[in-house]
Amino acid sequence: MIFPRKRHAILAVAAMAGIALLVASSGTGAGEQRKKGGTLILLSAGDVDYVDPGQAYYSFSFQVLKPVHRALYTIPADVLTAVPDVAAGPPKLSNGGKTVTVKIRKGIRYSPPLNREVVAADVKYAIERAFALSLANSYAVAYFGVLAGSPAKPPKTPKPISGITTPDKYTIVFKLKRPNGAFVDALVMPMTSPVPKEYAAKYDNKTSTDYGFHQVATGPYMLANDSKGNVKGVGYTPGKLIKLVRNPNWDAKTDFRPAYLDGAEIREGFTDSTVASRTILNGGADFNADFGPPPAIIKQVLSTAKYKDNMYGWPLGTTYVGLNTKKAPFDNINVRRAATFVLDRNAMRLALGGAITGPIATHFIGPDFSGKGFEAAGGFEFNPFPSPNFTGSVAKAKAELRKAGYANGTYTGPAVTAVVSNIPTAINQGKILAASLAKIGIKVNLKAVTTDAMYTKFCGTPKNQPELCPSVGWLPDFKDPVTLLYVTFSGKFIPETGNVNWPQLDDPKITAAMEKAQLIGNAKARYTAWGKIDRMITLTAGAIPLQWTNTLNLVSDRVVVAKMKDVQGQVDLAYTSLK
Amino acid sequence: MGSAGLFGSVLSRIRSPLLRYVVRRLAWSGLLIILVIFLTFLVFYQLPSADPAQLRAGRLATPELVAEIREKFGLDRPFYEQFWIYIRSVVTDFDLGYSYYKNLPVREEILSRLPASISVALGAFILWMAIALPVGILTALRPRSRSDRAVTGATLFFLSAPTYWLGLVMLFLFASDIGRFPLIGGAGTYVPLSVDPKAWFESLILPWIVLACGFAGLYARMIGENLRETMATDYVRTARAKGISERRVVIRHGLRAALSPIVTLAALDLGFLLGGTILVETVFNIPGVGRYAVDAIQNADLPAIQGTVLFGAIFIVLAILVADILYAVLDPRVRY
Repeated sequence: MIFPRKRHAILAVAAMAGIALLVASSGTGAGEQRKKGGTLILLSAGDVDYVDPGQAYYSFSFQVLKPVHRALYTIPADVLTAVPDVAAGPPKLSNGGKTVTVKIRKGIRYSPPLNREVVAADVKYAIERAFALSLANSYAVAYFGVLAGSPAKPPKTPKPISGITTPDKYTIVFKLKRPNGAFVDALVMPMTSPVPKEYAAKYDNKTSTDYGFHQVATGPYMLANDSKGNVKGVGYTPGKLIKLVRNPNWDAKTDFRPAYLDGAEIREGFTDSTVASRTILNGGADFNADFGPPPAIIKQVLSTAKYKDNMYGWPLGTTYVGLNTKKAPFDNINVRRAATFVLDRNAMRLALGGAITGPIATHFIGPDFSGKGFEAAGGFEFNPFPSPNFTGSVAKAKAELRKAGYANGTYTGPAVTAVVSNIPTAINQGKILAASLAKIGIKVNLKAVTTDAMYTKFCGTPKNQPELCPSVGWLPDFKDPVTLLYVTFSGKFIPETGNVNWPQLDDPKITAAMEKAQLIGNAKARYTAWGKIDRMITLTAGAIPLQWTNTLNLVSDRVVVAKMKDVQGQVDLAYTSLK
Repeated sequence: MGSAGLFGSVLSRIRSPLLRYVVRRLAWSGLLIILVIFLTFLVFYQLPSADPAQLRAGRLATPELVAEIREKFGLDRPFYEQFWIYIRSVVTDFDLGYSYYKNLPVREEILSRLPASISVALGAFILWMAIALPVGILTALRPRSRSDRAVTGATLFFLSAPTYWLGLVMLFLFASDIGRFPLIGGAGTYVPLSVDPKAWFESLILPWIVLACGFAGLYARMIGENLRETMATDYVRTARAKGISERRVVIRHGLRAALSPIVTLAALDLGFLLGGTILVETVFNIPGVGRYAVDAIQNADLPAIQGTVLFGAIFIVLAILVADILYAVLDPRVRY
């Protein structure tokens, strides 16, 4: 998943340097009694992308929907590893990894007005509908396209997929075109949350589904609705308010979530992050949802004793500079290596806010993947482009340029273009990049556009792609390195539009290694394979790793900050309680 | 008979000159609005904004999905065809289409937000006129006095202070949740009038003050200057010579004439604000049309952008029309 726009934008304007990351205490012991009840209040600048679990693909949306729609598997806030949720146990692989069988938990019931028990056919329909144009799910093909019979071209409305069968009421069987280790990991995605066909089909068969406005929940909470099940204007008013209330049909015996709260309110439209942050610190609200605290607030929190427990950070995702490997001069690996050597990555991090915004990255799988590929990639030790304090090495860069054919180690070709997001610190980062490259003779013309335009019109459209895209990055969708490296660096994924392989890296060896790694069923062996692939990618210098980013969250005094950090770097509402 | 001829024939059948004027102005206004929509289309297509199909599809979408979405929303059709389809829907059904981003009808979305924008704009308008009129009269009657100088200074200050900044200052000083001197309201406290009139009023006091500050100073200055000039004219001197009380001279003879030019400006300003007070709605988190416009621009949501521009244009055109009609009321010399 690409960095959330708002949160990334806010992080990019942070201007704090050299401040250590404050990590909130999480020392609540197992079985500790916490207060039940109360309504949590979150503030957001923007809105969720969708409230339909089959459409949502935004970390803020995941935060809202996770306690509402239980997926087949989930990553709970207290263990941060996938566990069965709607599923009754771990998936069983057979037929050489090409068949995946999942048993469904009994006794889970939908919220009113449906009220019936969840069955395996609901999960089958949920996955099938995600392939339909009426939903236009963003990741269905990428992670579930390996399902036998899955459509290459999206059908207008949901159609059955032959590779998904339900031999009985509580069993679902997935038949894959080929073994794929990451498929099992992807079963945590919200599109696997059950959807009742007899209830949802009439909405899904429209040109654009509006099931989200009539949805039924399986989790401890639901979007408030009226007696007919209408959510719009009751539990969800786009751009204004999202209201979660208790799902009366949720049975704690079928779930592991503590679900302390009575509900939550997400108040939207707080576009001024300073006002919103102060509201949280003053107790007018409890959390920031889709924005990060601005520099002035970070400074205030870190320098004020009474706020020591009001902010915490959580490592998540990697940012980098994309070098267009299809365009001169960066089609030459030595020029790319020169650029990587000379870039002052310390200054790049200072422009974002310094150490508090995360460690400087030396490859792509970050420390949030500890035990899942980070160490295999070399951990903090693997740094193929070293320089003193990451400030850049002109001498090494010049040596690379000499290898590229520039006799005196200075680039003499035409100027290159960098398209950056028009948020102030992204522009500053662009300027730092330009200043660094100028040391070896590369003149950079900076072009600042909106973040969306940068992605959709320039960096994501190969025919318009400039030589440099300095404001890019990627968040993991789940804890498997495939979500960080596959679509972003595989030569198989360089579409004409919507390209996220920003270097346009098309190295047959790397692509082949990726395809091979996906076939590995053993998770540990698979992570090791992806770790090696990470090293291979880094050595191509197609992208210059910048940071393993931290997301920063604010929390009010009335919230118990324990065991509630979600895999997406946000609070898991089902684990949150009030004092 | 051509359409122009037909229109001329219709006009000639209208006996009332004022009604004829209104019909003619409305016809021209329609053309003006179409031109505004055309320009918005042009800007959207020519400037490097985001690709709506790509945004709708998301980052991991396949090219097939993006192509299908482009077809679904008609984004694969030529510019002029998309423009024609849009104009036809607006004219025949006042259908403003569906938001690319939220898949919600734009007309309903705007109408649901209009009361908030109207609340902000009308309240601020009443406040600034309530301040500007007495202060303007006072400065006109006592030129170069302390009050005149104070108004000039205040006008300069509030006109120089950006609305967004002023809004933040008010919040950090007086908002009930984050204010240094917590008094009233705050960001995100807006409640519709129909739900709770008291809470509605309280939530809008700070936005009204912020919006009215700059306008009040400016209008006080203009009213003062106009009134000063009017009070020096021959007919005012004649009125005084007739022995009419000074109060009557000022209000009946001076102010009435002095207000004529203000009417046009006030109508334009009010019309503009009714289309959405972007900065005030943003800083105070009021879910009005202005904030909807900001979100639409950020999401490259053309139907929503068009809808807000269209509503804004309609308000301005109507406001100008009302101002022109009011001219005749205020100035007996004006005839249609």
